[in-house]
Amino acid sequence: MKSFVLACVAAVAIAAVAGVVLNSAQKPADQAFSTTGVRL
Amino acid sequence: MARLLAQARFIIGAFVVALILAVAAPVSAQQPSHVSPNAAAVKEQQLLNALSPGGSVGGRVSIPDQKSGNLIHPAGRDWTRFHEVTLRWIGAISVLGMLIVLVAFYLIRGQVKLESGFSGRRIVRFNAFERFVHWMTATCFIILAISGLNITFGKPLLMPLIGEPAFAGWSQWAKYAHNYLSFPFAIGVVLIFLMWIAGNIPNKVDVEWLKRGGGIVGHDHPPAYRFNGGQKMIYWIVVIGGAAVAISGYLLMFPFYVTGIEGQQLAQVVHGVIGALFVAAMLGHIYIGTIGMEGAFEAMGEGTVDVNWAKEHHALWLEQEMARTGPNESQRQPMATPAE
Repeated sequence: MKSFVLACVAAVAIAAVAGVVLNSAQKPADQAFSTTGVRL
Repeated sequence: MARLLAQARFIIGAFVVALILAVAAPVSAQQPSHVSPNAAAVKEQQLLNALSPGGSVGGRVSIPDQKSGNLIHPAGRDWTRFHEVTLRWIGAISVLGMLIVLVAFYLIRGQVKLESGFSGRRIVRFNAFERFVHWMTATCFIILAISGLNITFGKPLLMPLIGEPAFAGWSQWAKYAHNYLSFPFAIGVVLIFLMWIAGNIPNKVDVEWLKRGGGIVGHDHPPAYRFNGGQKMIYWIVVIGGAAVAISGYLLMFPFYVTGIEGQQLAQVVHGVIGALFVAAMLGHIYIGTIGMEGAFEAMGEGTVDVNWAKEHHALWLEQEMARTGPNESQRQPMATPAE
């Protein structure tokens, strides 16, 4: 049971770190492809 | 005099014509000489050629993403048909087919019982780190499977039930979970590969195990080392299938970093098909690890198994463990205090 709980905690922690890294590396399409002349 | 004037008009006229031609010549030189622009724009054969496999019809756009200038890409229609029709059939047949097989198998064969009964003596089957890696990978896989099946089946099955707004909200969070939990899943697959590779190399014992039905069909108990033939199949499905869905998934998560549109479509096809087959295979694994076999869940739940269970299902492994730790070692693992 302890292994299972630790596994769930580790999965959430790794996923959270991955989420932060991904969000800093990629932008949503409406931001990535907007220009001063084009607003998406 | 009149004749002189006529000659002068002719000379001036010729000069003017020559002047006009001289001025007009550079302009005409800028036009494509081989075909009229208007005719080229509607030439049917060119369009048909462009719509052949691998072709496309596109223009120019002023926004940074130049891929948006693509107007018609015939291969996209094949891909759309694949993920709207073919993939759903593959997923439905594999997942529902496996569920039907498992239910039928349970009704016909029933649970694989421990025929010699529980001895009360326990032996360590998986240590704490192995169980940690297994459960991290497994819990991530379950969420990845549900959120992945939502992408394929959610629109026709779930959206009519819960409505478009709820489906949109749920799908957005499911996609976040799918993307982010892919990382602990991929780490888990790598750890599983490294952790258990030594015990999962196929050998002659596995062939014999398979020939004798693996102890699942009938009441035979073919000997096996730590991992039997069926478990080795699951191991390689996890390693190869996990690598395939991870690589194809990251190609989709980082679109156009590595591949073009054809590569993206291929990655989606691989991800969808392998993912559906992966879910079906894991349903079989979950079945035999829980209700399908008496005493099996404790191996990954508590880390220990009954000695009689080991004797019936992994006799060669039990012999190795007994030779390594001594015959009384197993008695040091009482049921009430599983090793963590």
